[in-house]
Amino acid sequence: MVKVKVKDLTKIFKKGKNIVVANDKISLEVDDGATFGILGESGGGKTTLLRQIAGLEIPTDGYIYFDEKVVSAPNKIIVEPENRNISLVFQNWALYPNMTIYDNIAFPLKNIKMPKSEIDKRVTEISETLNIKQVLKHYPREVSGGQMQRAALARALVKNPKLLLLDEPFSNLDAQIRDSARALVRKIQKELSLTTIIVSHDPADIFSIAEDAGVIVRGKFVQIGNVSELYNNPISETVSKLLGDINTVEGEVKEKAIVIGNLAIPFDKKIDLTEVKVGIRPEDMRISQAEIIKNYVNIGKVKVKVSSYSAGIFKLIVSPISDESIEFSVNSETHIRSGIEAFLFIRPEKMKLFDSNGNRIM
Amino acid sequence: MNSRLIKYIILEIIAIIIAIFWLIPLYSMLINGFKTNFEATATPVLFPPKVFTISSYITVWGEMKRPLINSIIIAIPVAFISTIFGEMAAYFFYVTSERMPAVSNTGFSIISLATFIPYQATLLPLIELEASWGLFNSYQGLIFALLIFYMPTAALLMSIFIPVIPKYLIEAARIDKASDWTVFWKVVFPLTIPGFLATMIFVFIESWNNFFMPLVLTSSPSLRLIPVAERAFTGGYGTLYNDSYAAAVIASIVPLVVFIILGRYFIKGLAALGGGAKGV
Ligand SMILES: Nc1ncnc2c1ncn2[C@@H]1O[C@H](COP(=O)(O)OP(=O)(O)OP(=O)(O)O)[C@@H](O)[C@H]1O
Ligand SMILES: [Mg+2]
Repeated sequence: MVKVKVKDLTKIFKKGKNIVVANDKISLEVDDGATFGILGESGGGKTTLLRQIAGLEIPTDGYIYFDEKVVSAPNKIIVEPENRNISLVFQNWALYPNMTIYDNIAFPLKNIKMPKSEIDKRVTEISETLNIKQVLKHYPREVSGGQMQRAALARALVKNPKLLLLDEPFSNLDAQIRDSARALVRKIQKELSLTTIIVSHDPADIFSIAEDAGVIVRGKFVQIGNVSELYNNPISETVSKLLGDINTVEGEVKEKAIVIGNLAIPFDKKIDLTEVKVGIRPEDMRISQAEIIKNYVNIGKVKVKVSSYSAGIFKLIVSPISDESIEFSVNSETHIRSGIEAFLFIRPEKMKLFDSNGNRIM
Repeated sequence: MNSRLIKYIILEIIAIIIAIFWLIPLYSMLINGFKTNFEATATPVLFPPKVFTISSYITVWGEMKRPLINSIIIAIPVAFISTIFGEMAAYFFYVTSERMPAVSNTGFSIISLATFIPYQATLLPLIELEASWGLFNSYQGLIFALLIFYMPTAALLMSIFIPVIPKYLIEAARIDKASDWTVFWKVVFPLTIPGFLATMIFVFIESWNNFFMPLVLTSSPSLRLIPVAERAFTGGYGTLYNDSYAAAVIASIVPLVVFIILGRYFIKGLAALGGGAKGV
């Protein structure tokens, strides 16, 4: 397979007076056979980065290397996309509407003049793996979203690429098939030890597929690292939010506690700020009528405002009894009716503190 | 409900009136060909013939047969070749528009200029060129001259249809290692068939109706094309009205049939501009 290295990559789009810095000095390295995730909000520059790696976009500045070989240089594509041995699954799959699913999958093989019998064998094989054999004779518009997505994946994998690029490949799928699609991609990636880069704004995609990831904000990589490291130790409020649900509420720093309405989080470290943002993920909080839970700290009384259920857990929205405008989202193993008052618990070691600009301070 | 009905009726009436205005020339052309020459001259054009005769058609047919075949021999290859090459040029401009905007823009300006330049202006050099190449007064010469004028038109029209294809399909094909030739024939062409047919119909009818080129580029009567042959029946001294009507009918029958059979593609091609490549 291939090792990908990106060095100080910059892409500026100029449309008349409008200048957009879509990628700003981005550097990353993906080892041979490794998986890398690119996470960021809409318009952050994820697709632009992926398209540059694919060779579809000319860098304004910076270099891209495939195994130490330069493939893109400032204002120059050195190796054209067709010679990069890559596969790209587009955000919208980009299946050829005028070809059947079979012909879509066979297209890259026909282009390298593979014998018909060999093409047939490969297409059959991959469509069995991806469970789309029954729709091979259909046109893309005649099959479901999940089948189109798998067809796009089949087309990407059938030619044994050296590098697999995925641009939000699951975003158009409904929740149920999304999970199985992620698992499938991960399985194939592992089996072939295929170097893979996946772009998404959904952390679940990144967690299921990538080992390492970079977070892109307004064209810049703000943090790169192992995905659980990013999740547990985000450098800013933005990063923490991009990696998953998190409550961030303003708190007042008092002598031995951070105070949020009637809630008080024990805190005895010295900081210069009087106001901080407290970040804590729903799974690191609990709610109970009992006054003590092991490993958790009771921070005061709250009232349950909304109680809902999704994917095996109850989700609660709770507010300090003194202030209805402050809200926390909390996970709970049992159903708790709205209107009930109870104690809110947190795991203090999981708490993150940000300054008013959203930068992590602790 | 009632006001909607009234609006509908009014619109319908307007449409009928407009249609009648359009159809009157067609109607008078059709009926007058079936009159005797005396009746064609003496009765109002909108009156149907009292004595129905096909004698003028028989007379005219003898002289129009050859030009009809000639026109078919000329217009079909002109329409087909200019549209194919026009589409290739349009595709080229489309894919180079990003990486080599200068090339794309220059090419585009040239085809626009070539389309809108009055062809009388370039006729003299063309005649000289054809004479020196021995193409003057030949089928090849006519086809060549018409291609020069209609290829840019076709390229311009196809430049409107080609961008309907999403760029990502072309990019996907490149990543799938398709050559330019394969991308064009396997992806671009199949997805622009309505636009291709619309352009081809347009060029076909334009070259069918072109009067000036065959007039100046041919001299022998055996190479006459339809518009020139038809012209021979009108104007001049002692016009036979029933014959010229019949000649006009014969001259317009092919474009009419083409439009009736392929017209829906023409409309589909134009509609594809609004709806993206979805309806293809
Ligand atoms: N071809 C282009 N011309 C001009 N501007 C562009 C072009 N492509 C992207 N941009 C701009 O670059 C920025 C980054 O776009 P990009 O598509 O990379 O974002 P993204 O992170 O993939 O977003 P999304 O999550 O919505 O897909 C945006 O501001 C976008 O408007
Ligand atoms: Mg994107």
